[in-house]
Amino acid sequence: MNKALEHSFVELLEKHQNIVHKVCRLYTNNQDAHNDLFQEITIQLWKAYPKFRGDAKFSTWMYRVGLNTAITLYRKSKRSIKTEEFENVQFKIKSEPYDDTEEQQLKLLYKAVHQLNDIEKALVFLYLEDKNYSEISETLGITEVNARVKMNRVKKKLRTILNP
Amino acid sequence: MDELELLKKDWKKDDKVYPKLSYNEIYNMILSKSSSIVKWIFIISILEFVFWVFISFGLKASGFNLELDGMERNFGFIAISIFSYAVLAYFFYKFYTNYKTINSTDNAKTLMENILKTRRTVKQYVFFNLVVLIIGVTYMMPYAIKSDEDSRALLEIAQANGELFKYYASIALVTLIGLVIAISVLLLFYWLIYGILLKRLNRNYFELKKLED
Repeated sequence: MNKALEHSFVELLEKHQNIVHKVCRLYTNNQDAHNDLFQEITIQLWKAYPKFRGDAKFSTWMYRVGLNTAITLYRKSKRSIKTEEFENVQFKIKSEPYDDTEEQQLKLLYKAVHQLNDIEKALVFLYLEDKNYSEISETLGITEVNARVKMNRVKKKLRTILNP
Repeated sequence: MDELELLKKDWKKDDKVYPKLSYNEIYNMILSKSSSIVKWIFIISILEFVFWVFISFGLKASGFNLELDGMERNFGFIAISIFSYAVLAYFFYKFYTNYKTINSTDNAKTLMENILKTRRTVKQYVFFNLVVLIIGVTYMMPYAIKSDEDSRALLEIAQANGELFKYYASIALVTLIGLVIAISVLLLFYWLIYGILLKRLNRNYFELKKLED
């Protein structure tokens, strides 16, 4: 692969790296595992990059490769063992006034999302990224109706986890 | 407020708090090696092909060593050789074309299906070889007995004592036990390797498939 291609890829990824961080945030529960998954997604993006034609947005293309890596291609590292104490603290730097109730609620919410299975997490991720049901169904390979049905089930499941 | 709406509000707010990797850090990542399951599946599949090619070579070599009737030996083994190479070429071609369709930019379900399809080809090849192994061992056993001096001596003793049935039954039993052990070891290998490697993929594929049923 030539240098120009490497350069354009690294520059684009540097600009859009938050998408990869977000995928890692949902699918891993500690910093080492986060770094491992980030690296694997980067490799998969790079391998697929020569076929990226630019007819889709780079970010949209990243969602697909990122999620596919997290759900299917990534071999979970030994470091991603479950930790009940995980509270998703590594990214929490609040700039707004501290709201104990909301902060507490969010902590529980992130914890609940981590208890979902891989496919449910993918739905939540795409939902949080403001993707419509047509995009969600295309990314996962299911029908739009089923994406809606599944999303409603995920919401119910989250409610059950939060209010047992 | 809907739980996910609250989460979405925070999700967006967090945009600026992720670690920011530098150009060089990302550049170094693209130089590192992947450890994806596709890479492992490829390596293990190639090893399986190599393993069975060696096994069939071994069987054929031992077949040629048997003191069989010349014509029968040549025709039978040459035909088996051509057939097994054609089968190997077919499965390997199928495996390679399936492997090439694995694309991380496909939708999640298609990607999983293509990976499973690639695996299925190798599984079929292994299954084919197991059947050939069973048939081959069964077919070669009488010749092996005839050509081996010790076995021949034992056969004559059994014949003299009128224990021919007992002799053949014990040979069949030993062969059967040998095959059962060999197949069990293979199945254990499969269960361990693919159980670990494909557990997550199978679980996620089932989850997506369940939605469509």
